[in-house]
Amino acid sequence: MKKYNISAVLIVLILAVVSSASAQEKKVVTKKAAEPQKEVICFESRLGASEVTQREIKPGLPNVKCSPKTGAVLWWGDPYEGTVPMGKMPIKADYSKGVAVVKPRSAKMALLPICGTACHNGTYPPLPKNKRPRKLTMHTDIVPDSLNLQHGRGAIWCLDCHNTKKRNKFVDNFGDEIDFNQPQKLCGKCHGPIYRDWRDGIHGKRIGQWATTGKKRWFVCTECHNPHDVQQGKRNSGFAQLAPEPAPILPKGMKNADHERHHNTDESGQENKGSKQKGH
Amino acid sequence: MTDKKAPKNNPDIEQTSTCDTTEPSEKNKETESVSPSRRGFIKQMGGLSVASLMGTAALLTHSDDAEANTTWAEWFQGNYRLMTDEEKEQAIARLERRYTSEFGKQVTVDGTPAQEGVLFGYALNIQKCIGCRRCVKACVEENNQSRGDKQEIEWIRVLKMEKGEFTIDKMNDGYPGGYGIQVGGNAYSAAGVVLEGEHYYEPKKVPESDSFYFPIACMQCEKPPCVKVCPVRTTYREPDGIVVVDYNWCIGCRMCIGACPYWARRFNWGEPNLSSKDMNPKTHYLGNRPRMKGVVEKCTFCIQRTRKGRYPACVEVCPVGARKFGNLLDPDSEVRRVLARKRMFRLKADANTYPKFFYFID
Repeated sequence: MKKYNISAVLIVLILAVVSSASAQEKKVVTKKAAEPQKEVICFESRLGASEVTQREIKPGLPNVKCSPKTGAVLWWGDPYEGTVPMGKMPIKADYSKGVAVVKPRSAKMALLPICGTACHNGTYPPLPKNKRPRKLTMHTDIVPDSLNLQHGRGAIWCLDCHNTKKRNKFVDNFGDEIDFNQPQKLCGKCHGPIYRDWRDGIHGKRIGQWATTGKKRWFVCTECHNPHDVQQGKRNSGFAQLAPEPAPILPKGMKNADHERHHNTDESGQENKGSKQKGH
Repeated sequence: MTDKKAPKNNPDIEQTSTCDTTEPSEKNKETESVSPSRRGFIKQMGGLSVASLMGTAALLTHSDDAEANTTWAEWFQGNYRLMTDEEKEQAIARLERRYTSEFGKQVTVDGTPAQEGVLFGYALNIQKCIGCRRCVKACVEENNQSRGDKQEIEWIRVLKMEKGEFTIDKMNDGYPGGYGIQVGGNAYSAAGVVLEGEHYYEPKKVPESDSFYFPIACMQCEKPPCVKVCPVRTTYREPDGIVVVDYNWCIGCRMCIGACPYWARRFNWGEPNLSSKDMNPKTHYLGNRPRMKGVVEKCTFCIQRTRKGRYPACVEVCPVGARKFGNLLDPDSEVRRVLARKRMFRLKADANTYPKFFYFID
């Protein structure tokens, strides 16, 4: 019995020394250097749509964390910052149990409050007589993409979406106004199945609480898609190409990632073609 | 333990009492008090020497500070699943103290248990994914992984895959390029999709025209092979379906990494590199609390967020809205709507792991 005790004592003693030594090693002295505050503005979903200025909500808790490489928001400290209630849900139904908020777009557009009354007041400029597209001569600075409209394959033009008599609103199928903050009502005119999926949370993006009854910030159509450039020319895709985040670092000792290149890319692709020709 | 005094000839009660985990220890105590056995004696002596040595060791290494005491207590704490509520509270308080002093800011460690009637599920639109890797980086921001050149750990991997085509001219094409697993074509030329992806793709802009992208993380299987093989049972499935790891009980044998068919688990080969500035102070015991050297970690569906009602970080960050998350037991949830309406598949369904991570297409 003494033997057992002695060995137990020895083991514990060794453990004690080792663990306390490692505990002392781990001590990290953290210094807080007073750095000059620089304003960081990041974009949320796509470049050119909603943007956020980085700040601290609480000490140590930023409102957003951004990617140092691409400037995209990676993490929200407060998902509801700067949002307003969506108002009426798109359609009242059994799935609209939760609380929906959206980030208003109107805040970003400086001319919006006055453009409907000061310039485009319904009588001036003269209303177009027909729907034949013509070149936009003014406001090319506001909507640079509009000169080369990539939407509807030539079948639609400006005033199918923008209200003729009240230029700070959109227009629905019956000539009624749609608010700039509710583009989904406009887009849903043509893109019915996608609108339905968006309503049910299958299409598009929401942040906040996962529960069906929870509070969510819904991203509206224009926050992810550029309405004037949805076709993207030859790409024919609703979503613009963007810069990816950096690749994972290579394992130790590996110089490059050539081992995983595919048939149809780079040198290895050419080699493959060569061998194929030889084979035949 | 009211059933202790029940007559022995009642088989039902006897059965329920043996199922109870606290029963054997109490039985032991009883027998010990009657006649001290050899085992009991050794146990007592062992306990005594441990207690005395703790003091000696503290004196020997001049470390009477909180750090050393915490380390001691962590050495002797049990498996999180078997801890009593009180022990859990103590363990959590200990960790909060440790992390707060280590990172120089207030860190909270959460122990919120699973909610009743919730089974988490995930759906990913494979057609929408553009391979921008924002989910990967958002996950790192949220979950306190090691970062930097020395040891970079990412829980999500995004594979770039070539778009396959089953065309007649490919069927008769010459010799294989030597890459990938053949799923179509003939014996010499792979047609269709090859299940071999590129990890390290880095074009200027994504998506590239000839590729699609395939994000993979832990699938939170209903029959997780990693749980089966863990020799110390430190990884287990929680009632809400999340497979978790108690990092303190992990011995670093990496059996689970070998068992996982989805390459979802990562190992801390070195001391994790996490600065105070990058550290996310809202943590969960079974989730994103800072790990130590020599333990395995993996995706937990952001347990620290989802148990509090918030979407996982990767769901929120996805710029194309390809990621959907919700309660599989709620027919109105987003995931259930996806499953009801879209065509879906599970990765390696033939492995019989029953993942709760579904890939779907429009």
